[in-house]
Amino acid sequence: MNELEDIKLKALLQSMKLEKPHEDFSARVMNRIFEESNVLETIKAQRVLGRGFWIFILIFAAFMVVTFFVMNSGVPAAGDSSQLIPALNSGISESYNNFFNKLGTVPLSIAGILIASSILLFIDRIISSNQKLFTS
Amino acid sequence: MEQKDDIYYIEKVIEGQTNAFSYIVEKYRDIVFSIALKVLRNRDDAEEMAQETFIKAYKSLHTFKGNAKFSTWLYRITYNTCISEVRKRKINYTSTDEVEIKDEAEEMNLDGIPEENRARVIKDAMDQLPKDEYTLVLLYYFEEQSVDEISKVTGLSESNTKVKLYRARKKLYTILNDMMKDELYTIL
Repeated sequence: MNELEDIKLKALLQSMKLEKPHEDFSARVMNRIFEESNVLETIKAQRVLGRGFWIFILIFAAFMVVTFFVMNSGVPAAGDSSQLIPALNSGISESYNNFFNKLGTVPLSIAGILIASSILLFIDRIISSNQKLFTS
Repeated sequence: MEQKDDIYYIEKVIEGQTNAFSYIVEKYRDIVFSIALKVLRNRDDAEEMAQETFIKAYKSLHTFKGNAKFSTWLYRITYNTCISEVRKRKINYTSTDEVEIKDEAEEMNLDGIPEENRARVIKDAMDQLPKDEYTLVLLYYFEEQSVDEISKVTGLSESNTKVKLYRARKKLYTILNDMMKDELYTIL
């Protein structure tokens, strides 16, 4: 096939009228796109971490602060905290020490598995709550 | 120039002006719909897939790097979306591969097609091509895409694209020849 014929074929094909979709096609496409755009904006605006998570973090932080002050021997002005409420304070201290002593004996591999599982669960939660964002 | 226009509107969409996407829809809707119609052979399905194509394109617009033409990128989405749909629905089409390519096809005089009938004749001839060959011819001659760009759209190798394009062209000439003969018989 020579070049001239090729050019002629091109001209002939360009005279061809393409099939046209329904008149409201563009409007329907744009409506769907605006809907998609709104969904994406809503997902982006949603907080990944819920209120429960922040309450838990606050309680944990408060617990850590209280523990710090309880364990800090220099805090009470009138002497050691054990002198103020001896029975209760020694009980708390004992439990606290037992807990952390036991925690120290947990093998590193188990601790690693626990941390990894927590991270995986956390990632899973983020992905499942933002499925539309990740599947787009 | 056209590619520059496309890039301008794409950037606007990425910046958040969703309305700018209507330029893309208006510009490419007919060709996207024509490809979808050829593959799916049903106007409703073709409209649905054409719509799906534009939505997919919108959602992944940020991944378009501008290394290739936007049209090539869009046609690839169109072709893949339609082919996936055909596979999903397990639609079986009778192929028009039985069109026997004749040697005389090479000698056809395209000027012999009456001007007033050209658009209709060429459309009827194109409709007789199988979907893959229709897409190749449409992209090469109508959209003036290069062999390299067409191979990106269809996923075929460049050499395979060239061979298929050559066969499609010959088949189109055969169909046109037969149609012209029929027209002559009708006149006589």
